[in-house]
Amino acid sequence: MREMIVNELTQAVQDLARGFAHYLPRLIVMLILAFAGWLIAYLIKIILRSVLRFIKFDRLSENAGASQLLAKAALPSATEMLSRFVFWITWLGFILLGVSVLGILGLQEQVARFFLFLPRLFVAVVILFFGMLAAGFSARAALLGAVNANVPSPRLLSLAVRSIIMVFVLSVVFEELGLAEQTMLVAFGIAFGALMLGLAIAFGIGGKDLARRFLEEKFVRNKKEQDEDELSPL
Amino acid sequence: MEDGNFLTDDFLRQLINVGEVDILVGLPTHNNARNVGSIVHTIRDGILRGFPRERAVIINADGGSRDGTPELITSVSIDDARPASSVYALRTLHAISTKYAGTPHSGVALRTILAAAELLRAKACIVMSPESESITPEWVSSLLRPVYYDGFDLVTPTYRRHKFDGLLMTNLLYPMVRALYGVRIREAYMPEFGFSGRLGSEFLGKNRWNDGIGENGIELSLTLAAVTSGFRVCQSFLGKKDPVERHAADLVPTLRQTVGVLFSALESDFELWSAVSGSKEVSTTGSDQELVLDPLRVNRKRLREMFVRGVSELESVFQSIVSPSTMSELKRIAGLGEEEFSYPAELWVRTVYEFAAAYRKSVINRDHIIQALAPLFRGRVFTFVVENRSGSANDVANNIEGLCLEFERLKPYLLEMWKSKE
Amino acid sequence: MNSNSNKDALWYKDAIIYQVHVRAFHDGNGDGIGDFLGLEQKLDYLQELGITAIWLMPFFPSPLRDDGYDIADYNSVHPSYGTLEHFRKLLDSAHQRGIRVIIEMVLNHTSDQHPWFQEARSSQNNPRRDWYVWSDTDTRYKNTRIIFLDTEKSNWAWDPTSKSFYWHRFFSHQPDLNYDNPEVREQMWNVMKVWLEMGVDGFRLDAVPYLVEREDTNCENLPETHSILKELRLRLDQNFPGRMLLAEANQWPADLRPYFGDSDEFHMAFHFPLMPRMFMGLKLEDRKPITEILHQTPEIPPSCQWSLFLRNHDELTLEMVTDIERDYMYDMYAQDKTTRLNLGIRRRLAPLLNNDRRRIELMNVMLMSLPGTPIIYYGDEIGMGDNISLGDRNGVRTPMQWTGGWNAGFSTAEPEKLYAPIIHDPVYGYPAVNVTSQKECEHSLFHWMRRIIAVRKSSAVFGRGSIEFLYPVNHRTLAYLRQLGSETVLIVNNLSSAAQAVELDLRRYKGNVLIEMFGNNLFPRVGDLPYLLTLGPYQSYWFRLRRV
Repeated sequence: MREMIVNELTQAVQDLARGFAHYLPRLIVMLILAFAGWLIAYLIKIILRSVLRFIKFDRLSENAGASQLLAKAALPSATEMLSRFVFWITWLGFILLGVSVLGILGLQEQVARFFLFLPRLFVAVVILFFGMLAAGFSARAALLGAVNANVPSPRLLSLAVRSIIMVFVLSVVFEELGLAEQTMLVAFGIAFGALMLGLAIAFGIGGKDLARRFLEEKFVRNKKEQDEDELSPL
Repeated sequence: MEDGNFLTDDFLRQLINVGEVDILVGLPTHNNARNVGSIVHTIRDGILRGFPRERAVIINADGGSRDGTPELITSVSIDDARPASSVYALRTLHAISTKYAGTPHSGVALRTILAAAELLRAKACIVMSPESESITPEWVSSLLRPVYYDGFDLVTPTYRRHKFDGLLMTNLLYPMVRALYGVRIREAYMPEFGFSGRLGSEFLGKNRWNDGIGENGIELSLTLAAVTSGFRVCQSFLGKKDPVERHAADLVPTLRQTVGVLFSALESDFELWSAVSGSKEVSTTGSDQELVLDPLRVNRKRLREMFVRGVSELESVFQSIVSPSTMSELKRIAGLGEEEFSYPAELWVRTVYEFAAAYRKSVINRDHIIQALAPLFRGRVFTFVVENRSGSANDVANNIEGLCLEFERLKPYLLEMWKSKE
Repeated sequence: MNSNSNKDALWYKDAIIYQVHVRAFHDGNGDGIGDFLGLEQKLDYLQELGITAIWLMPFFPSPLRDDGYDIADYNSVHPSYGTLEHFRKLLDSAHQRGIRVIIEMVLNHTSDQHPWFQEARSSQNNPRRDWYVWSDTDTRYKNTRIIFLDTEKSNWAWDPTSKSFYWHRFFSHQPDLNYDNPEVREQMWNVMKVWLEMGVDGFRLDAVPYLVEREDTNCENLPETHSILKELRLRLDQNFPGRMLLAEANQWPADLRPYFGDSDEFHMAFHFPLMPRMFMGLKLEDRKPITEILHQTPEIPPSCQWSLFLRNHDELTLEMVTDIERDYMYDMYAQDKTTRLNLGIRRRLAPLLNNDRRRIELMNVMLMSLPGTPIIYYGDEIGMGDNISLGDRNGVRTPMQWTGGWNAGFSTAEPEKLYAPIIHDPVYGYPAVNVTSQKECEHSLFHWMRRIIAVRKSSAVFGRGSIEFLYPVNHRTLAYLRQLGSETVLIVNNLSSAAQAVELDLRRYKGNVLIEMFGNNLFPRVGDLPYLLTLGPYQSYWFRLRRV
């Protein structure tokens, strides 16, 4: 009896040791990969940060309004954020690579899925970023246009423009990420439709006079009242 | 000459028939049938009286008028094929017209005229505006003589106008060009002007027209190019200028064509204007530039209102452009009542210079920067109108002179902003 | 010749006339003054040139106080030029060579040395008294202008012999004949008859507007004057058919029209206003002055003809132009103020054009192809120069340059005896410019003139055809069509000193081939598109249009 236990134990320990010996190199490889990944990620972060500083990415992100958002959330600047994001992604990538080396099947599948997901994540971020840029630009253009045309509630108009664009952008982002696509589609449809309807009603009822004045200005040029005292700048 | 490709075949054929000329009159138009008939007759009179022996041509660059403008212009040509004309002339006078491609832009029209002038080897050229109803035949001589006989390269006009007419010129363009480029050119952006073939060719060849330079008026670019390249510039008094009918919505496009062009030019001309200090008079021919002082109704209330609205609604935009101290000053005066409201000269100059610096750095989209200037300009107009409402011509002139000196005095401020964060 | 004159009553339409001073052409007897003998000796030259008629300046006996236009004897010739026999011989020799002879006839006035006037002034009762216009006062015909403003203060002159005033429209030594007197009219016809019987082919009638005076008029172009002229013409046609009358009247074309009448007055008249405009068009490099004056020229009866010329014995007159045009012409062609005389420029053709062969050719091309009979001034066919220092208009009346030798071949006399010095500067002097050397040089102006005269004579369209201007947009080209019957000729001239491209609208002649008339080479056929031609500086094309 004792002999059997010892034999089994010895067998078990030997199995463990064998197993260990079998996996040890892979573990070491994984650790090496992780370490190398960290180095590479760090280097990439430094380079990326310089590049972004050089192209004045912060300014761009300010225009996008992204910087303001980050500031509100007490987060560091866009350059920093992006650099760090890339750092973590890269390192995570290497770690996962290492994990896959371990050869654990289930894990490998997940890792593969993660890597497949990365491009879409990247595209989504890009869409979001440029979408915010466009929204910010258009909002400002609308604001300036409304102020110079003496249209009432210019800020409201500007916000409306920004909102519409952002809603659209977010829908596209979610669709890209594949998150609750159908829901998002419907939700977007509803939100957008509601927004437009709301605007139309508000404009129609509340802005009735404004609408009339606007159309009169545009199509009936005898309306001298407003312009007769306008000076010629040149 | 690569510019030959940008003229239509038909126009080239017409130019071949015209041949070499001594004098060229350019007339850019777009749906100006209301006035252009009498204006072009006046121009023809001016040519026949002032330059009866010279070979001359009238070139119309039209943006696609649908009201018969080109026909009105070509009808003044004098040639033996239509001997019924009652006008006596020693020579044939061609008046030809071409429609330039694309949407109507004064820049493209002027480019067409410059190209024609170069092909026809015109010695002296003038560009006339189809909107100047107060034109007389002497205007032609006044603009051409300095080029044709005295060897000047650019002749800018001066007018006798109402003291409240052309405030963008007197409150911004004139003082700023004076302070930065060192020349006292009263109308650097001019609807009519004279230029030599030399200047025209150089300007035509130097510019990269595909960069969209032609889109916003090139008149100011021409003036600045003449100054920076050492061409001889002078001013010539033309006469009375009636205020052109304007709508409120025209201010922003006007700003684009003038202030926008000026701000762009500052970048490429930096080496020159940074080294200039003070300013010099340019040679001026002709009589007084006395201002017309008739009472003119101005809607001051609206001017102030638009300023106030602008400051409040556009605060987020201004914050990217002007300095914090300027911003707070603007907010302060926006809070003043109509009686106390004042946009003083120094603040205005600072504002303009900060805008120029912001434009250079493209803190936000450049066109938005220009648009943002509009409400502030209105505020400045309000103050100018109030300050000068009962002043004599001399008083107004001194007021403007004071503003100019302020621009000159604060030039180092602009330089400082310009050089920081290079 | 005279027997043939019936055959071609319109010979003057096809004529090429050569204007010549007998005195200046060639000296036959060695006395230093040109004469009929000398002129006769040179008729072969004129025949070779190709001209078909000569117009002789006045050669009548005369005190020569107005260059021979003050006539003292209508029935003879000035002894310096020879005798009547010499003249008859000249006439015959010319006719034998097919050259017609046109002489001057001054109808309006005589010299005060004329026997008629001597008689008329001798007493108030003299039979010839009424042959002139007398008055006890000088206040009659007050509205009449004075023509020689520089020298005369009145149209009346006081005659101390008969103690009364006599009328003179020109110099005071040229009393006007009284055409209200039928004797005068008859006598003047007889004078003309003498020369016509001798064989003269035509008269250039000087100063015709002034024949008759009437109170309360300007005494010019009066209906009575026209009646007299019509009468003259009638008698001419009845007795001497085929002879020609050429009017000298420096007027606007519209005012000249009455002198053609209904083909019952003059056959020809000078087109004065066209000539300065040809020079102007050349300097402006613009055809406008030329086309405009021709547009303003009225239609004349089919048997009548304009007479065209580039230069003549007088100054290039600038009377018929506007002030702006006159100033322009002075500044362009007479910067040296000494060349300006009265209201004109006293220079020959070649010096006016700076001896530019191309421009000389172009002016002659227009002379030969515009509607009218061309008149060539002697010496211009070889490009003779002028001598301004000779004063008045004598600078353009120097001796003809025949050779590079003794007196330029003009006379065998001693050079000091010549009536005027020969031009001897390096550019226009006789060693450089003379007939002999030009005959030897194929490319000389003389040969070119021969050729163009020959081409002109090759078609009746030039003398008798209609003219239609084309108005190409390129105003530096002057283009016109001459048509007669089925024959059409296209002339295109480049008035500019630079090469030109011109597009002509010849759609009406689609399908025609163009045949260049000097070389007889073919040019492309006219199609639907505008006909494109390129011309060198001052170049011209003469095309015959032929439907093949």
